[in-house]
Amino acid sequence: MPNSPFIIAFVIIVQCLTLSTNERVLAEDTSVEFFEKHIRPVLVQHCIRCHGPEKIQGGLRLDSREAWQAGGDSGAAIVPGDDQSLLLKALGYEDISLEMPPRGKLPKQTIEHFQKWIRDGAFDPRSNDEMASSAKSSAPTLADGKEFWAFQPVKPPVVPDNLHEAWPKNDVDRFVLAKLEEKGIKPAGDAAKQNLLRRLTYDLTGLPPTKAQIERFITDKSGDATDKLIDRLLQSGHFGERWGRHWLDVVRFAESSGGGRTLLFPDAWRYRDYVIDAFNQDMPFDQFLKEQIAGDLLTSNSRLDRERKLVATGFLMLGPTNYEMQDKDILEMDVVDEQLDTMGKAMLGMTIGCARCHDHKFDPIPTRDYYALAGILKSTHSMNHSNVSAWNTVELPLSERDEDVFLASSQKLKVAEMQLAAATRTWKRMTGNAGGASVDPKSLSGVVVDSIDAEVVGAWKKSTSVQRYVGADYTHDEQMDKGAKSVTYRPKLTESGRYEVFASYSPGANRAKNVPYRIKHIGGETVVHVNQRNKPSIDALMESLGIFEFDHQREPTVVLATQGTDDGVVIADAIIWRLVSGAAGKELASTEESLADVARQQKAAAAKAEVDRLTKEVKSLKQSIPKRQVAMAPRDTESPTDIHIAIRGMAHQKGELVPRGVLQVAAWEGLQSVDTEASGRAELADWIAHENNPLTARVIANRVWYWTMGRGIVASVDNFGSTGDEPTHPELLDYLAYSLVQNGWSIKKLIREVVSSRAYQLSTHVEEHGQQLDADNQFYGRRAVKRLRAEDIRDSMLMASGNLDLTMGGSTIKKGTSSEYGYQFEGRRRSVYVPVFRNRLPEIFEVFDFADPNIQGGARMASNVASQALLLMNQPFVMEQAADAAKRLVEKHSGERHEMLRRVYQEVLGREPLEQEQQVMMDLLAVNNPPKTYSQWAMIYRLLFQCIDFRYLN
Amino acid sequence: MRSNRRNLLKSTACGFGYLAAASMAQREASAESQNPLAAKPVHFPARAKRVIFVFMQGGPSHVDTFDYKPLLEKHDGEDRTFDDARVLAKTKTITKHRVFKSPWKFKQYGECGQYVSDLFPNIAQHVDDLCFLKGMHTDGVAHGPATLFLHTGSINFVRPSVGSWVQYGLGSESENLPGFVTLQPSMGNGGPRNYGNAFLPAIYQGTPVGRAGVSALEAQIRNLTNPKLKSGEQRRQFEALRKINAIQKNSHAGDTEMDAMINSYELAWRMQRSVPDILDLSSESEHVQKMYGIGEKETDDFGRQCLMARRLSEAGVRYIQVNYGDNTNNPRWDQHSNLEKHADHAMKVDKPIAGLLADLKQRGLLEDTLVWWGGEFGRTPYAQANGTGRDHNPYGFTSFVAGGGVKAGFSYGETDEFGHHAVQDKIHMHDWHATLLHLLGLDHEKLTFRYSGREFRLTDVHGEVITDIFA
Repeated sequence: MPNSPFIIAFVIIVQCLTLSTNERVLAEDTSVEFFEKHIRPVLVQHCIRCHGPEKIQGGLRLDSREAWQAGGDSGAAIVPGDDQSLLLKALGYEDISLEMPPRGKLPKQTIEHFQKWIRDGAFDPRSNDEMASSAKSSAPTLADGKEFWAFQPVKPPVVPDNLHEAWPKNDVDRFVLAKLEEKGIKPAGDAAKQNLLRRLTYDLTGLPPTKAQIERFITDKSGDATDKLIDRLLQSGHFGERWGRHWLDVVRFAESSGGGRTLLFPDAWRYRDYVIDAFNQDMPFDQFLKEQIAGDLLTSNSRLDRERKLVATGFLMLGPTNYEMQDKDILEMDVVDEQLDTMGKAMLGMTIGCARCHDHKFDPIPTRDYYALAGILKSTHSMNHSNVSAWNTVELPLSERDEDVFLASSQKLKVAEMQLAAATRTWKRMTGNAGGASVDPKSLSGVVVDSIDAEVVGAWKKSTSVQRYVGADYTHDEQMDKGAKSVTYRPKLTESGRYEVFASYSPGANRAKNVPYRIKHIGGETVVHVNQRNKPSIDALMESLGIFEFDHQREPTVVLATQGTDDGVVIADAIIWRLVSGAAGKELASTEESLADVARQQKAAAAKAEVDRLTKEVKSLKQSIPKRQVAMAPRDTESPTDIHIAIRGMAHQKGELVPRGVLQVAAWEGLQSVDTEASGRAELADWIAHENNPLTARVIANRVWYWTMGRGIVASVDNFGSTGDEPTHPELLDYLAYSLVQNGWSIKKLIREVVSSRAYQLSTHVEEHGQQLDADNQFYGRRAVKRLRAEDIRDSMLMASGNLDLTMGGSTIKKGTSSEYGYQFEGRRRSVYVPVFRNRLPEIFEVFDFADPNIQGGARMASNVASQALLLMNQPFVMEQAADAAKRLVEKHSGERHEMLRRVYQEVLGREPLEQEQQVMMDLLAVNNPPKTYSQWAMIYRLLFQCIDFRYLN
Repeated sequence: MRSNRRNLLKSTACGFGYLAAASMAQREASAESQNPLAAKPVHFPARAKRVIFVFMQGGPSHVDTFDYKPLLEKHDGEDRTFDDARVLAKTKTITKHRVFKSPWKFKQYGECGQYVSDLFPNIAQHVDDLCFLKGMHTDGVAHGPATLFLHTGSINFVRPSVGSWVQYGLGSESENLPGFVTLQPSMGNGGPRNYGNAFLPAIYQGTPVGRAGVSALEAQIRNLTNPKLKSGEQRRQFEALRKINAIQKNSHAGDTEMDAMINSYELAWRMQRSVPDILDLSSESEHVQKMYGIGEKETDDFGRQCLMARRLSEAGVRYIQVNYGDNTNNPRWDQHSNLEKHADHAMKVDKPIAGLLADLKQRGLLEDTLVWWGGEFGRTPYAQANGTGRDHNPYGFTSFVAGGGVKAGFSYGETDEFGHHAVQDKIHMHDWHATLLHLLGLDHEKLTFRYSGREFRLTDVHGEVITDIFA
């Protein structure tokens, strides 16, 4: 480059040296003037807002000489004397990724001023005094950070003494009571038995108690009746369904990728079942976490164990990801970020994601730590790229016997497939049938009118998605504007006569079953309906519409319409006219020709028979081969590496290279460092699921407390950082975390301890005195009123109607589903098995604050909106459950009204009707006297589904 | 004082007002703000009270509608180098493309002399009321990302939509209606996320009326009507419910949440009675219906949407989105080939939109209603793959706005001489979001919500208010 900065700087220095002192002062004066007149105003008006003390975009500041001398993320913006300075390029709009100011190019003259200014040495009188004060970073240091409560080691607990020694049932109560006594709050009384039963049954299984269970519990007067109940509920398979769903909230479980072009996750259900099973088996929680992070890297003692561990890693794969993103570098970093963010919040209660672009502003997480962790996940292969990329899948192992069958059958299949290919070639050679997706119209005998040459009314969309079709493509009606669209085919027949008319179409399950083709012929008009779901019988390409007589001068036509085709898409491809016999009745082919034809046809038929036989054989072999199932799972990349800091989070701006590792603030001496030959997930899993980790046990103990008590000891259950809430009962939290680890990370033991406490079993009754002292019930002087979750509401209504299907596990997305858009949720399985799509949820989930699967969140929102009321008042699903429940009631228990009402109350609310309620209900039932039909009872059920005591747990 | 997170998470009528007030440090908690939907004080005087966003899904071409580029005609058919957004993202290379002139003629209209193509003869009659933003640019080359970006200011993260932010910031003007309504929204390209509340309380989510692909005649709020019960039965049931809930509430003395729940039933009951009337267009005079093209085959459906939008805005809905879209991956205006099909779409929307503008004006509503017209991006000035259509162009395109505090008969910003890149007075989608909030009296840097340990805003860390377009 001719004008390198060195040469120019040299020239300036030489010039300066040769000037007298006076001249130098003069030169400086003119520089000052030039700067003040032409440069400073422009900088102030157009640049400093984003490149000043407030924003520092791109790491560049232009508000003082020292600031721009330090440069920005892309290096020096201004090199005095250099015409190629980055700033000039930006002002000149030379590079689309760097156009400044962004709102529009500056006038030519202004740019020339900048050129001159920089050429002349970029004199800048502004010093950095004003900037110095605002430059100091406020991010906490690591040493300070370790002092924060959440990073302190969990302390072995000292159980406090209480004044009122008889009150506590266990140690949990001793901690709670100590605080209540300290605050002078008198706890509420114990909950009524029926309320406790309903509370426990929903909290532990998500279902209402049955009538029999109510009777058994209410009549059991033994001292350990509640303990027996708790044990029974913890042993129930429904426990895992309820508690597994809690974890699914935490890990943003979904069965589609979300975003614009959302893709289905057909194998995500395996992860769901894994989680349910883990809770039911009471898998040690540390193991549970390790398997989810690094299950594929752990050793296994059996095939099923291996399978389970692979499925567990689905945790990493289930995030909301826009696989359509075109810049794959950015996509990969976005996925890593999502994984880190979820892992951080779910397992550690840390918002690690904040450190992607800058040191965490509030927590001691430097950007280095983020990229140390990110390097581990970047060394983990979790997706495969193409235009729309996709998550990685891993084949699950087969049993030994299945493996043998698999190998043997695979071999047989290979041979059969080769034979089939050969036979097909032979047959096609004979018939001139080229096969393939598209059929050349010229290869077809007869007069062909393809969709492209036909007259269309309405919008017909071109497609080549489904084979086979004539010409370049076929068209379809997009299943819209039914009745308003049509296609008219006008053949150029050269002679009159009897023609067989064929319609080609590409079949499919979403096609219309009754597509009308209107044929205009000499005899008038005939409408022939074709079921486009069936495979066309002729060469898998076309169907005959029949033989008709046409006068070639009287505009023969076929019109394809869309009336009455609401059940599916209508395909319009080609219509073919084949002459059967001419107008004068002359035979089409000479005898000789037809004889040769017959021989050829016989041979072709034999070839076809062979093809058919082999097709069948291949099909049956395929069916007999044990299916290799796949799971969404990652693997380590072939060459795991450390990665660079991406400056300001931008994937293309590389900073320092950071060795892989974990959060320094939560590390301890003797922690194993990352094996550079592997991704480092194994070490990451060990660090997270370690008793020395100050966060992990506390975070899950707090979650268990939240799921049972209604509010976390740390209210911000996903955020244990300095922007989260502080624990109301730090000693109790440490006690729970410590006990969890001591009890082999058993979640069931922890739950049992909490729900066996008196604190859990208190009444919800608000004492005037306690209300004043603790309006928010932060100290658990009474039981918090909890609401039923979306799933509970749905499952309970299905229970009442007798429609609930209690089958456990398995894939539940309807077969043949290709997209979540428009999916109809018709199943009657428990809610935990209803497919969770990121852009489509059952309305009842959406309205009743089901966990948004797009967002990691361990706490549910609790809204009170009109759409909830409207749903309970009018939704067909609710109406149907109420009606079915009423029918069942009337059929089975027809009898005295009061008795029937009692039964309904027990079923839905788990209690007897109050006197006043009975009055209201009896008035309703009395309207049509006598109430012979079930419709009055349906109204009673609807009312109960809407009332306070159904939607809340007392 | 440390706030209680459980209360923070609640959007109950009584619980949530506290949060709204607390997280908006600049604004004082007034008695009204106890109700999360109550009208709230603004940051500075509002120029507009409500928004009607007319969304043209798929990306209408600016160089065939409002951004006249004579050079396209001059160089039609020539191969020239363009940095195509899609090619660049995928291959990081720049290639040649065939310049493609507009098949439509442009003429100047009104006193302002704004150019409009033959596609919009009716809208053209209103140019003196419109403010054209011809230097728009945005993020996202594909429909999914760009549509989400338009609605939420983010491509890959789940964020509240503009309408939710507006409702959160302003509250509602009506006791009987939701504050954010989207008419016949598309299920594709992000679907409900485009009117979702994300981490904002659910009370701020958009309420869909009907959906794309279903006739406007059948457009209704979900579950608003009962499929089986006669109105007498419904009333009887509702009155019994009031009694039962009043009895059960007794055992929860002091718990305000129960009142909030009871209120939600009352609002639902009022909605059942008021909304069908608002959406029923039969009370409108024939003259008005005609203005919107109702009764004509091509314009009936979209005309109904536009008229419903006017009626909703009169009834106090803050943010109304009118959607011209469908549920496919290549939505309506997406003419990658056969550009001529733009004419079909223009025909369907031109008269209804012109009718809406005229109607708002004659009723004096245009003064404090901001009308915003636009798609998720524009289209390239060159043919896609040498064919008969145009590809997506996020680098430069045109939107127009009208009413509520913006200059009338005005054009702001420019694309380059071919119409590919915005070059002068550019407005990024973030800038537009900031400007829209500003027009409603909200400071986009102060309208924040605390979630996951930090404050979030519609414009993230971007956005500049374009004061040059203010009247």
